[in-house]
Amino acid sequence: MDNMQIMKGKMLQAGYICDDKVATVLYLAGAMQKPILVEGPAGVGKTAIAQAFSLVTELPLIRLQCYEGLDEAKALYEWNYKRQLLHIQAVSNKNLSVQQIEEDIFLDNFLLTRPLLKSITSDSPTVLLIDEIDKVDFEFEAMLLELLSEFQITIPEIGTVRARHQPFVFLTSNATRELSEALKRRCLYLYLDFPPKEMEQQILMLKIPNLPPSLAEKVAQVVRQLRRLELKKPPSIAESIDWAAALLWLGKEDLDVETTLQTLTTVVKYREDQEKLERIIYRDRDLNFRT
Amino acid sequence: MSVLQYLQAFFADLREQDIPVTTSQVRDCCQGLLLIDWSNRDYFYSTFFSTLVKDYSYQKAFDEVFNRFFKEYLRPENRQHFRFVQANKNSRPQEETAVSDYDIGMGNPMGKGGTAQAPGGKKNPLQQDFGRISAEELAGIEAMVPLLARRLAAKFVKKRKRNDQNRLDFRRTIRSSLSTGGIPLNLFTTRKYREKPVILILCDVSGSVMNFSCIALALIASLERFFQHIESYAFIDEVSDITGLLLSGNPFNFRAHVLRNAQVVGVTGYTNYGHTLEEFHKRFRHRINRKTSVLIFGDARNNWQEHGKWALKDIKSQAKKVYWFNPEPMSRWNTGDSIINDYVPYCDRVFACPNLAELEKSLAKI
Repeated sequence: MDNMQIMKGKMLQAGYICDDKVATVLYLAGAMQKPILVEGPAGVGKTAIAQAFSLVTELPLIRLQCYEGLDEAKALYEWNYKRQLLHIQAVSNKNLSVQQIEEDIFLDNFLLTRPLLKSITSDSPTVLLIDEIDKVDFEFEAMLLELLSEFQITIPEIGTVRARHQPFVFLTSNATRELSEALKRRCLYLYLDFPPKEMEQQILMLKIPNLPPSLAEKVAQVVRQLRRLELKKPPSIAESIDWAAALLWLGKEDLDVETTLQTLTTVVKYREDQEKLERIIYRDRDLNFRT
Repeated sequence: MSVLQYLQAFFADLREQDIPVTTSQVRDCCQGLLLIDWSNRDYFYSTFFSTLVKDYSYQKAFDEVFNRFFKEYLRPENRQHFRFVQANKNSRPQEETAVSDYDIGMGNPMGKGGTAQAPGGKKNPLQQDFGRISAEELAGIEAMVPLLARRLAAKFVKKRKRNDQNRLDFRRTIRSSLSTGGIPLNLFTTRKYREKPVILILCDVSGSVMNFSCIALALIASLERFFQHIESYAFIDEVSDITGLLLSGNPFNFRAHVLRNAQVVGVTGYTNYGHTLEEFHKRFRHRINRKTSVLIFGDARNNWQEHGKWALKDIKSQAKKVYWFNPEPMSRWNTGDSIINDYVPYCDRVFACPNLAELEKSLAKI
C-alpha cells in the first residue's frame, strides 16, 4: 500500500471514486503544498473532488463561488460599515478623541471576513474551494495570484494577515476563459474527463446502494453513447445518477427503448437534445445511438 | 545519459512542440518525481502531466513526446533498474540535482520527431506578410493569435472598467436614512447599465485570402473564448453562421473545419461579396442593432460580380460601426477585381493588414 493507494481508499470512503492518476495529483498537492487547478466538462465532479477531499482530511471546506463582477469585498473582507456608523453614533456624546474612535472602529470585530480571509485566518488548516475561477475578471485573478503565492492579505487599517496554516486550495474552471499563465504555473493541473464505463458503473453503484449491477452497467453504457453524440449539453455524472435512481424508483430491472423514452427527461435537459435522441431511438429501435 | 540529462532532453522536446515549460515547472516536476514510485506508470505520467501541462489542448502533443521518451523506460523488464534508482534516490536531498548522478539505463530517445529547428534569421512572425508565407510559418503566426486576442481582450475590459464607476445615489441614500434617524446606513449607488461588447464578424474563407482567413478564424475563436457576445459568420459566395463552431475543432485546421461544417459555398464557389452582403442583410439583419460593431475580414476581390453595396450601406445605417480589415497592402487595392473602393464609403474605417502586427494595431484602434 503506497500513499496513492491510501489516498484512493480514503477518497472512496468519502464517496468519491478516483483512479491512480487523480490520486497522484491529490497526493502531490498535499506533499508539495500546491493548489490544484481542476478543469473539465461541466458535471464530471470537479467540485465534488474538493468536497470529498475535505471529508478525507477532516478539514473544514470553505467555498468561494465565483461569478462575473465578484470583487474583493465579497471574496476577501469588508468593513462592517453599518456597525461602525452605529458605534460612532453611540459614542458621540462621550467626548472621545477622534483618534480613540478611529482605533475602536477598525478592530477585528468590525471586520466581515469573507471566504478567502476566513481560510487563512482559520485556527486549523482548511480546504479552500474556489469554484469557477474562469468567471472572474483579470484583476481579481491577479489578486488571487498574490494570495496563492504568499498566503497573506494586507488590510490597510490592521496590517498584514499571514496564514497560520496554509490551506489546501482547489480551483475549478470550465475553461470559458483562458486563465493567466502565471496562475496556471502556480497550480498542479488536473483534467477530469468523463469516466470510463466501468468506473461510471462503480460510481452509480456507490451512490445508489441497492442498484442492480446489470442496470448500472446498462445506464453507464447508454450514457457513454449519449456523450459521444453532439448534444447541446452532454449528460453529466450527476444526471446519470439521477437517471439510475429514477429507473430504480420506477422498479425497472432493465433499460429498454420504451423505458428510455419515458425517462429521457432525467438525462437530457434541453428540448433540442431530447428531440434529437427521440428521433434516433425511433429510427433505430435500439439504444446504440449510431450517428 | 544521466536521469537529469534525459529529463532535460525531454523538457527540451516538449518546448519544441510549443508546450510552454518554464523553469519553475521543471522544478515542480522534479520535486514531484522524488515523491512518487516510478514503477507505476500512472503515477509517473500524472506527475509529469500535472506539473508540466497546464492546458488540456496540449495533451496530445504531450502524450506523443512522453511515449517517445518513456515507453521503453516503463517496460516490465526495465523495472529492476528503477528500483535501483528509487532506492538511491531516497537517500538524497530533495533537490533537482539529486537525480542527476544516476544512469537512466537506456540510449537515445527513440527517433526524435521534431527535427525542424527554427532556423536563425527568420522574420518575426508578427511582421510576416500573409500573402507569402508557407504553411509552417502560418502555424507559427497562428500560435501568436491567442496572445493577441488576450491583449485585445484586456484592453477592451479596461475600457469598459473606466466607464463603469458607480456614483452615489444621493436622493435614495438620504431618503432611506430617514428611517434610521438620519444615519445613512444603506448606501445606494447609481446603477450604470454596462453595455457588453457586441461584435459581429464576417470572414471571407475563400482561397484567395487563405492564410489571412486562417488567422482571422483563429482570432475569432480566441475572441469567442473571451467574450460572450460575439457572433461570427463565414462566407465565400454563401454566408453561414459559424458562432460557436470554432470552439470545438483543432486550431490548426479551422478553415477546413469551417468549410466542412458550414454552408459557405453557393452556386459558383467563387467569392462573391455582393451576394454575401445581400444574403447577410436578408437573413441576419435583425441581429444588428445600434450597439453592434460589424467587422469584415476580406480582400474585396469579387470576381467581377455585382458589388451589392446597398446592403452594406443599410448594415452601416443600423450598426454602431462597420470596420473592414483587408489583408492586401494599400498599393494593391482596386487592382484587378478588387472593389474595396466601392465599400469604403460605407465603412467607418478600412484597414490594410498585410501582417499580424498591423492587424493587431488596427484592432486596437477600434
